[in-house]
Amino acid sequence: MRRSLDTGEGADMCGKWRSIIAIIGMLMLGLVLPTEAYAHGVSIEYTSNVEIEIIARYDTGTPMAGAQVAVYAPGDPSTPWLTGVCDEEGRFSFVPDTSQPGIWDVQVRLAGHGGIIHIPIGEDTTAIDGSGGFSHLQIGLMVACVVWGTVGTALYFSRRRRT
Amino acid sequence: MGKKVFIPVITLSILAIILSGCAGGGATGKLQFHANGEDFVRQGFVSKDGWSISFDHVYITLSDITAYQTEPPYDPSLGNDIDGKVKVALDGAYTMDLAEGGEDAPPLLVAEVSDVPVGHYNAIAWKMAKAASGPSAGHSLVIIGTAEKDGQSLDFTINIDEECEYQCGEYVGDMRRGILREGGATDLEMTFHFDHIFGDGELLPGDELNLAAVGFQPFADGADAASVLNMTEMHLGHVGEGHCHCECH
Repeated sequence: MRRSLDTGEGADMCGKWRSIIAIIGMLMLGLVLPTEAYAHGVSIEYTSNVEIEIIARYDTGTPMAGAQVAVYAPGDPSTPWLTGVCDEEGRFSFVPDTSQPGIWDVQVRLAGHGGIIHIPIGEDTTAIDGSGGFSHLQIGLMVACVVWGTVGTALYFSRRRRT
Repeated sequence: MGKKVFIPVITLSILAIILSGCAGGGATGKLQFHANGEDFVRQGFVSKDGWSISFDHVYITLSDITAYQTEPPYDPSLGNDIDGKVKVALDGAYTMDLAEGGEDAPPLLVAEVSDVPVGHYNAIAWKMAKAASGPSAGHSLVIIGTAEKDGQSLDFTINIDEECEYQCGEYVGDMRRGILREGGATDLEMTFHFDHIFGDGELLPGDELNLAAVGFQPFADGADAASVLNMTEMHLGHVGEGHCHCECH
């Protein structure tokens, strides 16, 4: 009896694709369901107000008391973000805007002498506690990786059986 | 077969678009180079030893003038060579008269270069070299003027033959310089502090500047520059109030 090769293999292939689609569907369901039902994530944020203190001295070690100070933020290196004057010990402090990460330039001038110092200022960080909360983006990426891995594996084995 | 051709074609197209954006072109602007003897030269001053000095001419010859964009910013105190990711160099030598233009003259324009890459030019190097010709031929620096003290008036010419190399960091002054944006212009300044040679009568005798300066009296006594001056120690070259690494010979 002549077998209808197409019908047999076609039915086989349809069944495999239904399985794959079902798996994908279940995994996609995980994306839309409230994550709180599956993970009690906790997100803790902090900001650190970093105070920068500079100490300006001549080569001889003499403090640059009363020196003019100009602070430049990374976003606008032409316009002083802050100006001030060093105290009697040549000290000047400021709290940079940490929403502007990058190199902050501090210029000090007095009586025809001056210099510039370049200070790297980092970004605020979001701390994650031990119970492991993840952001929606992280969850989405993890699900996508699992889906892609599942699909790839299923396709691999389906090709092997065919050959 | 369609898929096998399609993906490589798309990949190559994307690469071509990216590379065509990177190759050649780029934002540019104009960069100017200025030389400045400051008010000390233009208006004169009183030396640490009481001589009232006015300058008729201060001829200085500058060569190997190069502006750099450096990252991290160049620190002249370390004494290393400048290593810039972007360089703009001037050809030739330029003899400038720092006393030119009168008391209120602006800094002198040495040269300007168009179509240079944008960015922050935060370092500059130059040489003070012997002039091959002109009013200061054979000398790197010639100072011509008049000094007065206690009713005495003395016309003088000081010839300096030492050649110096200056490597400087970012300009320090009332405003930031060297920040070049697309289609714009900026400048860098080579500043020369002659109070470092003669001292400053407005400062205390024990001031660090006056302690290091030679004053004018040795020249009034007839000494020549070679016997009196060590140009490396004079630190004549600055960038505004910013310092330079200096080597003279």
